[in-house]
Amino acid sequence: MDRRESIKNILLGSIGSSVLLESCVSLDKEVLDKIWEYQYGRTPEEKERDEKFLNSKFFNENELKTIEKIANIILPPNEIGNINDAGVVEMFEFIAKDWSTPAHNNYGDKVLRRSIIVFDELCTEKFGLKLLECSESQIKLLFDEISYEDKSLKDQKESVRLFATFRGMVVTGYFTSEIGIKDLGYKGNTPNVWDGIPNDVLEQYKGIVSYDKEWIDKCVDQSKRGEIAEWDEEGNLLT
Amino acid sequence: MEIINNSKEYDVIVVGSGAGGGMATKILSDAGLKIAVVEAGPYFDPANPDQMTQLKWPWESPRRGSGTTRAFGDFHMSYGDWEVDGEPYTVEKDTSFRWWRSRMLGGRTNHWGRISLRFGPKDFKSKDYDGLGENWPISYDDIKPYYDKLDKLIGVFGTKENIFNEPDGFFLPPPKPRLHELFYIKGARKSGVTVIPSRLSILTKRINNTRGVCFYCGQCDRSCSAYADFSSSSCYVIPSLKGGMVDLYTNSMVIEVKTDKNGRATGVSYINKDNGREYSIKGKVVVLAASACSSARILLNSKSKAHPNGLGNSSNLIGKYLHDTTGAGRTVFIPDLINRKTYNEDGVGGMHVYSPWWLDNKKLDFPRGYHIEIGRSFTMPEYGFGYNPNEFNKFFGLKVGGYGDKLRQDVKKYYGSTIGLSGRGEAIPRKDNYCEIDPNTKDKWGVPVLKFRYKWSDYELKQAKHMHDTFEELAYNMGGIALGNKPTKEQNYGISAPGEIIHEVGTTRMGDDPYKSVVNKYERLHDVDNVFVVDAGPFVSQADKNPTWTIMALSWRTSEYIIDQLKKQNI
Repeated sequence: MDRRESIKNILLGSIGSSVLLESCVSLDKEVLDKIWEYQYGRTPEEKERDEKFLNSKFFNENELKTIEKIANIILPPNEIGNINDAGVVEMFEFIAKDWSTPAHNNYGDKVLRRSIIVFDELCTEKFGLKLLECSESQIKLLFDEISYEDKSLKDQKESVRLFATFRGMVVTGYFTSEIGIKDLGYKGNTPNVWDGIPNDVLEQYKGIVSYDKEWIDKCVDQSKRGEIAEWDEEGNLLT
Repeated sequence: MEIINNSKEYDVIVVGSGAGGGMATKILSDAGLKIAVVEAGPYFDPANPDQMTQLKWPWESPRRGSGTTRAFGDFHMSYGDWEVDGEPYTVEKDTSFRWWRSRMLGGRTNHWGRISLRFGPKDFKSKDYDGLGENWPISYDDIKPYYDKLDKLIGVFGTKENIFNEPDGFFLPPPKPRLHELFYIKGARKSGVTVIPSRLSILTKRINNTRGVCFYCGQCDRSCSAYADFSSSSCYVIPSLKGGMVDLYTNSMVIEVKTDKNGRATGVSYINKDNGREYSIKGKVVVLAASACSSARILLNSKSKAHPNGLGNSSNLIGKYLHDTTGAGRTVFIPDLINRKTYNEDGVGGMHVYSPWWLDNKKLDFPRGYHIEIGRSFTMPEYGFGYNPNEFNKFFGLKVGGYGDKLRQDVKKYYGSTIGLSGRGEAIPRKDNYCEIDPNTKDKWGVPVLKFRYKWSDYELKQAKHMHDTFEELAYNMGGIALGNKPTKEQNYGISAPGEIIHEVGTTRMGDDPYKSVVNKYERLHDVDNVFVVDAGPFVSQADKNPTWTIMALSWRTSEYIIDQLKKQNI
């Protein structure tokens, strides 16, 4: 059982029997998923802010589809998953609202929506079509032009600046998702006992860096981590 | 406004529940005194699943952990940052100060880096070495027994190193270095920079039967649900509540210390933030631990016939000598760390190795030292990850930018290939760096707010320059490349804005002379015999050390003094 499932069980366990739990999970899975998707230790004020934005709309359907299409070209699907599995479009939608303040310079409108407008204009100029109507290879022709900085220019063109920000959002959204983290290979965020760099990695860096014995001898003996610490009067650890 | 009086009289009222207040609460209540703890924020327990952020994944936040409502990101455990809704402050033109406040039980101890360094013998007498600032009225020997007791009570890992100004303590064993830290050790040794295991209050080994042992998630900034790191909430206040001697007032912001006609304190008044009404409680002794600037604000706002310019302010020094740690940082790219094999390297919530100050200032053009903290990038991605996905291509003559699977490969290639270096140094306290009451601005409850005036001097700027020179040398000797350009004189050598390192101290400085200081060597106001300040306000100087361990050692010492004075019926 994954953690979200076990949280659900804790919730349902507190209001009824396991029979109720089974039926609830099967009947209202979608509703429960929404409720439990974002339980991350909010204060009442923060919760209110999240709920407000989760219950309102910023982008229209066309815009959302455009974001999805661009994102799938920036990071194409692979065997681990795709942009939709990573919730990238939902993140765009949320952040557009979260940052639609003067403090964020109305990021939703001025950067995200503006990007879609500019990319659409460039597609129309080039192919006589909106981005959504273009083929993948047409869009790539455009991206080949705007996805690299022009070193000769002090100030980059608007399209280049907007693409860089849009790409940043896509990459961040993908690699902060469950599948993105799997793709990246990050292995932590779980209880464990750190007992030094794995041997095969140390082997790989032999000749570059290594542990020295004197240092390691002072470090924690993980087999005794559960024994209560005691010292002599000089501060030498006895246990 | 009508004030609602509570007829109960406490032995001691403790204002604030962070490092200093929590420590005092524990010692005073253990001695059988009846205590009121008045905290401006809500109840917080790191083990409460409704408040917990530890072990959450970035996708559990709809903004993937970005810092919209919390400056250091959604999962960071501080309610409040440099901005608090409804509680503004002002800054004098052409100067800067950023004031961090954590409004919650345990205060900033819930989010801090757990770097637990003792001040050394030199740090209490710096004026003897360079003629600047002021000496403390106490010495290392006065406070050493309290550092020792603190080490044993709370737990701090480290190693005996016999360095004169970095005193050893009763240490738990440190964790083994991570891979990037081996690169740092190599670079530091080549550069002649001292490098030793870090000293953090995280339990690498069991210290008692009530707190857990570190399970290496690297998230102490989220506050540990197993109580394996030190927080005032988990280690002091919550256990003290079980003893029956402590009443905890939460969401209660103290505005004033009340005095009688002779000018002695009789209690405090506070705003209940839930209903906006003003209440007062009585106590024989008042212990302020609201944080250096908040305690100064409370004292300056406590005006009476006996204390016309604020309680304990006959010297006119409350708020003066405000100083924060200096900071400068640089990221280093290590080509040897590209295409890393991934494995769980979270470790403890902070560095496993660090560099204490290693040079003699007599041979340098700035008077005080700094230590170096080591950060890493082989961490759990949060919002912001991958914004410059392949910037390092430029070092290999490859194109920067693009899209598609090549981009994905670049992100993975460079993941974990940088090391962060941060210098944290000692500033010289100056009378003309201060906070004072701004008569023209009030918070949402109508209480006058603080106005700051703070400028770095050449001493601090030259120190920041030295930090960057050192970072570049370290980077080279690690086999890496220091990113970006070295900040210039016009850019103030990249020094942090005052307040950004969140170590503000000095606003109620300690001394023997009531004309030159606010509190005596027991942290008692010179002017009033039953008001004490146990946060970082009494610090005469900062040292190149993080202040928490010294706040707590001093608070323990002061608490014992209060118990003794109450027993002798002197107060």
